[in-house]
Amino acid sequence: MNDNMIQCTGVSKSYRRGSTTVTPLEKLDLSVRRGEFLALMGPSGSGKTTLLNLLSGIDSPTEGSLVIAGNELARFSRRELTKWRSQHVGYIFQLYHLVPVLSAFENVELPLLLSPMSKKERHERVKSVLDLVGLGDRIHHTPSELSGGQEQRVAIARALVAAPPLLVADEPTGDLDRESARKILDLLRQLSREHGKTIVMVTHDPRAAEAADRTLHLEKGQLLEAA
Amino acid sequence: MLPFSYAVRNLFRSRSRLLQTVGGSALVVLLVMASVAINTGMTRVLSASGSPHNVIFIGAGSEESVQRSEVPDSSAEIAQASIPGISEKLGVRAVSSEIHYMNHLEFADGSRAQALLRGVTPQALRVYPDLHVIEGTFPKAGEVMVGRLAWRKLGVPAEALKLGVRVKLDGQSLTVSGIFAAPGTVLESEIWGVLGDLRVLSKRETVSCVVVRLDDPAGFPDAELFAKQRLDLELSTLRESDYYFRLTQFFQPLRVMTWITAGLIAAGAVLGGINTLYAAIAPRVKEMAALQAIGYGRGALLASLMQESILACLTGALLASVVAVLLLDGVTVPFSIGAFTLEVGPEVAITGIFTGLLLGVIGTLPPAYRCLSPPLTVALRSA
Ligand SMILES: Nc1ncnc2c1ncn2[C@@H]1O[C@H](COP(=O)(O)OP(=O)(O)O)[C@@H](O)[C@H]1O
Ligand SMILES: [Mg+2]
Repeated sequence: MNDNMIQCTGVSKSYRRGSTTVTPLEKLDLSVRRGEFLALMGPSGSGKTTLLNLLSGIDSPTEGSLVIAGNELARFSRRELTKWRSQHVGYIFQLYHLVPVLSAFENVELPLLLSPMSKKERHERVKSVLDLVGLGDRIHHTPSELSGGQEQRVAIARALVAAPPLLVADEPTGDLDRESARKILDLLRQLSREHGKTIVMVTHDPRAAEAADRTLHLEKGQLLEAA
Repeated sequence: MLPFSYAVRNLFRSRSRLLQTVGGSALVVLLVMASVAINTGMTRVLSASGSPHNVIFIGAGSEESVQRSEVPDSSAEIAQASIPGISEKLGVRAVSSEIHYMNHLEFADGSRAQALLRGVTPQALRVYPDLHVIEGTFPKAGEVMVGRLAWRKLGVPAEALKLGVRVKLDGQSLTVSGIFAAPGTVLESEIWGVLGDLRVLSKRETVSCVVVRLDDPAGFPDAELFAKQRLDLELSTLRESDYYFRLTQFFQPLRVMTWITAGLIAAGAVLGGINTLYAAIAPRVKEMAALQAIGYGRGALLASLMQESILACLTGALLASVVAVLLLDGVTVPFSIGAFTLEVGPEVAITGIFTGLLLGVIGTLPPAYRCLSPPLTVALRSA
């Protein structure tokens, strides 16, 4: 139990849409071990993004309990949740969501500006994660001057820099060519194996799922073990 | 906190939008500065025009209009002998009999303009010690001296009222013998002639008023007592400062109009400015959402948006201040009883800067609300 980074019990999430209620997640249970790399598949609209949002404290469940990195998220206020998120979760988006007016370096620096830290230490940490993701000499370029693969590396560096134990990635290779996608997957696997990160990755691509330790399918609000 | 450079660089995302925001804010600030300058200028000139030392005797019942007032010719003589504390120099007491007369002046080129004329005796210079003849001489019969801003009030070129020029009043030709200054007062917009000339031209036997200068403003009750004792003269007593204060009240509606006009134009500019701020900020819903996902609170994001807008609006305010100093400062504005000079001083500048600040803050709120109010999950999936 204490070995689990993620412990979801009986989690449901519904949205009201006009007079109807959509329930993408229904009484869902999920455990993810520390250091595990989990791939999440499922048809479009099945609630994959909704689940990632719950795991990362961006959204809260209608029902059930979420214990992430030892914290019961329901106990946090919105403000506390924001702070918790900055320390425990790195979110990687399909479309990177980098800040266009900031350089790669500055984008990666953003999460560190939230906690007190000397400039020197901050810059060293930014440099070291940028080295880790292999961005090379393009750290002072703005997102528009980078390729998609490079942008996603910057986004991963940004998710990593505050050293959160959990990374969630929503179709991180969905917008990349095959070669770039493979490199990003290699990077994620390396982060899991060598750096002990727990990773939950949503993907449509079975080949991408192969990079993970385990694959789950989300269908009709429930998680199924891959056949 | 987000770095300040984030706010600064966001400003330059679209140069045309930045120009619109800065320009819109500059326009609003300039209008506000102009309105403040006009209001303070008018109030300043009216309050400077009246001295607490001076007492005006005016015909009882004519307190509203000096021009219509009738005061017996002999009043000045009687007043100077009866009122204690009149200021005196070289045996001459500061008592001025005056005729105030409004009529059209005709210029050499045939153009006409309505002028405020004052018929005076040389004693007037004792009553208005701050008035000085700066060119030429005090007028003799058939001559007038003109205030240095009279041309502005009459809306004629300065040359039309030069020394030596002839003007016509009721068919009578008068020569400009002198030019006088009375800094910061409405007197500078008047035309002064000899009392006798004006009496003939205005076809009256009486004068309009008698002005007396007291050594000490506290002597006013003595002057009042004199008017009460000499009921036969039918005089009403006014402090000169009160007289001009009442004019200030009289011009209140004019000042309100200035504000309303400026307000309407500014409102248009404000809406335009808010619109451009909206266009600058609202499309960043997703970016703001991503920053929140990273761990930035909504307060921090709002602060950054505020920095950005305030920076743009203050730049506009600065621009407006420069324009105000170049175009407004020192400009003479005519109004019905004179002219006043616009002064772009600290009061005007502070109001302008404050306006810019306010614009930035108010302009940020609607787009910030648009960006920061939706739930994160909705904002992240927005197109
Ligand atoms: N904020 C929301 N409000 C209303 N409905 C939502 C919201 N987020 C997701 N949904 C709905 O929940 C369902 C699951 O969405 P999502 O988790 O994005 O699916 P997936 O990522 O698997 O494609 C969809 O029907 C979607 O329309
Ligand atoms: Mg999705």
